[in-house]
Amino acid sequence: MNATAEEVFSSEEKDILQEVMNIAFGQATAELAEVIDIFVILSVPNIKVVKGRDLPEYFINEMNGSNVVNLVEQNFLGKFSGQALLIFPSGAEKELIKLFNQDNAEDIYNVDMDTLEQETLIEVGNILIGACIGKITELLSDFVTYDPPRLLVQDLSKSTPSQFPVDEDSFAISIRTVFRFEQQNVEGYLFLITKQRSIQWLKKALQTFLESFM
Amino acid sequence: MLKSLLIVDDSPVARMIIKKCLPTEHNLYIYEAGNGQEGVEKYQAHNPDLTLMDLTMPIMNGFEALESIRALDPNAVVIVSTADIQEKVIQRVKDLGALYTMKKPPSKKSLAEALERGAKAFAQVQK
Amino acid sequence: MAEKGITDLSGVVHVIFSQIFETINNGLLVIDREMTIKYWNRWMAMHSGIAAEDIVGTSLFTHFPELDQPHFRRNCKSVLQFGNFCYFSQRLHKYLFPMPAPGSLADSFNHMQQSCSMGPLRNKDNEVEMLYISVQDVTEVVSYQKKLVIMNHTDQLTGVYNRNYMESSLVKEIDRCRRYNHSMSLLMIDVDLFKIINDNYGHPCGDYALKTICQRITSNIRKSDSLIRYGGDEFCIIMPETSENHAYKVAETIRTSICDHPFTFADMTFNTTISIGVASLDLSTDDVESMLKKADEALYTAKQSGRNSVT
Repeated sequence: MNATAEEVFSSEEKDILQEVMNIAFGQATAELAEVIDIFVILSVPNIKVVKGRDLPEYFINEMNGSNVVNLVEQNFLGKFSGQALLIFPSGAEKELIKLFNQDNAEDIYNVDMDTLEQETLIEVGNILIGACIGKITELLSDFVTYDPPRLLVQDLSKSTPSQFPVDEDSFAISIRTVFRFEQQNVEGYLFLITKQRSIQWLKKALQTFLESFM
Repeated sequence: MLKSLLIVDDSPVARMIIKKCLPTEHNLYIYEAGNGQEGVEKYQAHNPDLTLMDLTMPIMNGFEALESIRALDPNAVVIVSTADIQEKVIQRVKDLGALYTMKKPPSKKSLAEALERGAKAFAQVQK
Repeated sequence: MAEKGITDLSGVVHVIFSQIFETINNGLLVIDREMTIKYWNRWMAMHSGIAAEDIVGTSLFTHFPELDQPHFRRNCKSVLQFGNFCYFSQRLHKYLFPMPAPGSLADSFNHMQQSCSMGPLRNKDNEVEMLYISVQDVTEVVSYQKKLVIMNHTDQLTGVYNRNYMESSLVKEIDRCRRYNHSMSLLMIDVDLFKIINDNYGHPCGDYALKTICQRITSNIRKSDSLIRYGGDEFCIIMPETSENHAYKVAETIRTSICDHPFTFADMTFNTTISIGVASLDLSTDDVESMLKKADEALYTAKQSGRNSVT
């Protein structure tokens, strides 16, 4: 399609998409707190349609200022398909350990601190991503399966993270939220990069969502 | 009976959904505002019987708008509408004077309940 | 067994999935929201020694109380609430279900090493009603990983640690000393005029000398000390919780163990000596680089003062 990024969604569709994401992230926040005892604030999501080849640049701009980061990357597959990227600033792993583990966790698990920190990041990332995608797909009557999450340490000044699963000429939707663990003073980004083939389905799903209130 | 309703939400879709969920035979005069500040202004100008307030809005958020409206009019009947319904949020808006918190997305049922409870509370403060 | 969710399928398909469930070379169990076990496949029965009829219908925690931890429950809640998948890596957990390690590896492992995952099971209305846990035996892989790590850290000739090990180990040790306010010392050792041994007596003899030196050093240090060969005839010893004074004493003992006792290889007898530099960690200023430098300088001084000495 020769459309520009702006033309992929109509104005109305953009509004519905924004509201669906707002609701999803709000619900995710509430349920993480009430069910899992994880208290994290998720900012109102910023949604943008980006062409595949522009993704790396878009990403770098969004992350301006950060250099070395910890990245949890996880693919999800449903009618809503794509890749989730959770970005933690370097050092966050030391704070997040307190979220889950008592002080002597190193001894309980009999592993070194590095392993414990990495596994904690992966676990927190997995749950956070699952919560957000879970609520989005629930609102849109879809459900997804996931690949195991991977942890990467990246120096963003040197390279863009990972392989975005999007062809150069395709469109991707980037849904970005800032997450904040208040008690641990950790703040980072969550990106959901959606594949082009999900876009057609998404348009229909958004209409269905709106019509369900009529 | 309620005569007027103010819907404060920055999402035009959210406002549309609320209107769609109102009972078909409602006779409410509906006012809308797209942010907290506008919400306070419209409240001052029109004095609606019931206000539905979203929380996450630009310029002035729902917490602040709720507080302002209640300060202007201690009898204001305001129901908060939000997706983030965790305990501490519910408590906070209650302390700020909200009647109760309605979960997003709304439904015909939850709007019916809002009108009913809103009407009751409105009748109370009229006395 | 009527399985909700599969009752919609034809009998044939049901039979196929039942067989897969039972015969797959993977542990599979299904639990509901109350942690009651609904299904327990043959692999689980075989490796746990608990038959399906004895466990289905009971609480998971009755048979496996160690699983009743906040961590495990949190992951279950996440799957039930959000429908995502959760993973229990061998790296962190080692195993979820205590089972014997496969025969050939029983010596190296107390339990089978497991990589586990959990996922949602939905009902007709697409709500998550139950969850499954998959258990994979990764003992063999872990065994290879361990061997690889050891090989990577071991000097092939002498069997002591190699240079790879030294770099990471020193960093960790200094970190640990910082965290707990402990002391440590570093010994830098050089075999005096080693080249001459090789030239006069041949390389096999030189190798033997190195091996023997290592043996003698090892018998004079503690288990917690690490002897590392980081060059041809260069060694160092990382000594945790050791003051400079004590390190010096140990160094002297090592020095004399080498110079006081001759070496015999084939029909040749010879003597050799070593020089040792001692450095201790200054918590306020030192890092890996400065520690190595201090020890190096001390070694140099020892050499300069006529060899076979400790500085």
